[in-house]
Amino acid sequence: MANVVIIDYGMGNIWSVKSAINYVGSKVDISDNPEVISKASHLILPGVGSFRKAMHNIRHLGIEDAIKSAVIKRGGRILGICLGMQLLGSQSTEDGMAQGLGLVPNKVERFNNNTKNPTLKVPHVGFNTVKFSENKGLFSNLPRNSDFYFVHSYRMLSEHVTGLIGECSYIENFLAAFEVSNVMGTQFHPEKSQTNGLQIIKNFLTA
Amino acid sequence: MLKKRMIFTLLFDNGEYALSRNFRLQKVGNLEWLKKNYVFSRISFSIDELVILNVTRGEKNEDLFRSHVRTLSEECFIPIAAGGGILNIDQAKKLLRSGADKVVINTPLYSSPELVYSLSEEFGSQCIVASVDVKNMDGDYSIWIENGSRKIEIEVKEYLLNLANMPIGEIYFNSIDRDGTGQGYLMKMLDILPDDISVPVIMAGGAGKYHHLSEGLKNDQVDAVATAHLFNFVGDGLIKARDGLIEEGYDLAKWANKCDNFKGKD
Repeated sequence: MANVVIIDYGMGNIWSVKSAINYVGSKVDISDNPEVISKASHLILPGVGSFRKAMHNIRHLGIEDAIKSAVIKRGGRILGICLGMQLLGSQSTEDGMAQGLGLVPNKVERFNNNTKNPTLKVPHVGFNTVKFSENKGLFSNLPRNSDFYFVHSYRMLSEHVTGLIGECSYIENFLAAFEVSNVMGTQFHPEKSQTNGLQIIKNFLTA
Repeated sequence: MLKKRMIFTLLFDNGEYALSRNFRLQKVGNLEWLKKNYVFSRISFSIDELVILNVTRGEKNEDLFRSHVRTLSEECFIPIAAGGGILNIDQAKKLLRSGADKVVINTPLYSSPELVYSLSEEFGSQCIVASVDVKNMDGDYSIWIENGSRKIEIEVKEYLLNLANMPIGEIYFNSIDRDGTGQGYLMKMLDILPDDISVPVIMAGGAGKYHHLSEGLKNDQVDAVATAHLFNFVGDGLIKARDGLIEEGYDLAKWANKCDNFKGKD
């Protein structure tokens, strides 16, 4: 029996994420309780705002270990959304260097301002196309090129990703999504990306 | 490349939804009507973004408005911008916690621009939709605030230049003259926008047919087209319009329209 939990650390649009999960027919709890989080089979880490503040809240609530226990010790699945995907990485340069959860080794940095094409503004806001490396796992039942909604100024660097990836082109080719065994992230908002996003959520929940 | 957008705007009038013609309102149904008879869920799966404006004249029941935003957001998986009567940070925060992703600001752009700066500091400029209501008298343009009831006292050019320097995410550019008429967007009002405006422009006011949407999207200055008319694209009107636009080569986001496949059993 799936035990789906949205991690509530005081930042992010948890209600939109909850609505999307409910819409595809799953029950979900919203929790900041380490005990509940550590026992989840499916964790969702949403997030809007600053990386440093988010990690501060996560540590302050004592849920960093609970997340790691669920994912590393018990093999639970985790999906980080937007800032939540970045938090899965090792560190970010936002507001000075801050350490992330380190579930994947990747670093997070701000987009470089584009000098060649100044019309490409930061933040990157709107629907854009993601190219998936393969149509399986988190990216099942979707066209190889699918459109998703983004709002972000920072992105995760794609070096050393060993699993499935989705790439988006804006200023550069950047990492829009990944699946490395039970750790998954989407820089875009599946809960704001119509049926394409609902499919991602369904894929996350059904495995 | 970022996609262009098709937007639907809901006009909330004290618990009901309204049609607007030149900013005069006519209530047509409540939330239940919207969901059942109007089949809003189908509409919402054919647009890129939803705007919900509290256009209630006089005193606004904000709790009621927020509860509507919350309910609508539960079955609407796209960005939602909401506004109407936001005068302080706290009101914006509450709306953002009720399912809105962005807030729409109109009158304070003129009367208390400092609010725009504090909103941007708190939530980021991408969170702010600047709504600009325009009237045209024989080529002479003016900008109106407070639900189109008060003309601003500074030059249009100066106002828009000020706006270009404010930390806003986009402009909702609405023609009061064309509002609700179905005669098409007033495309030539784009000429009054200064070159310094670098944020996306949403064209609003007057869309009545497919051809109007494509005319808007065809223009390089336009990033999104909006319609607030509850009947012009009724039934599967918007879905067909979207499919037609994509077929014609307009760069809109694509997804499977069949939302019913995703609806869970509960």
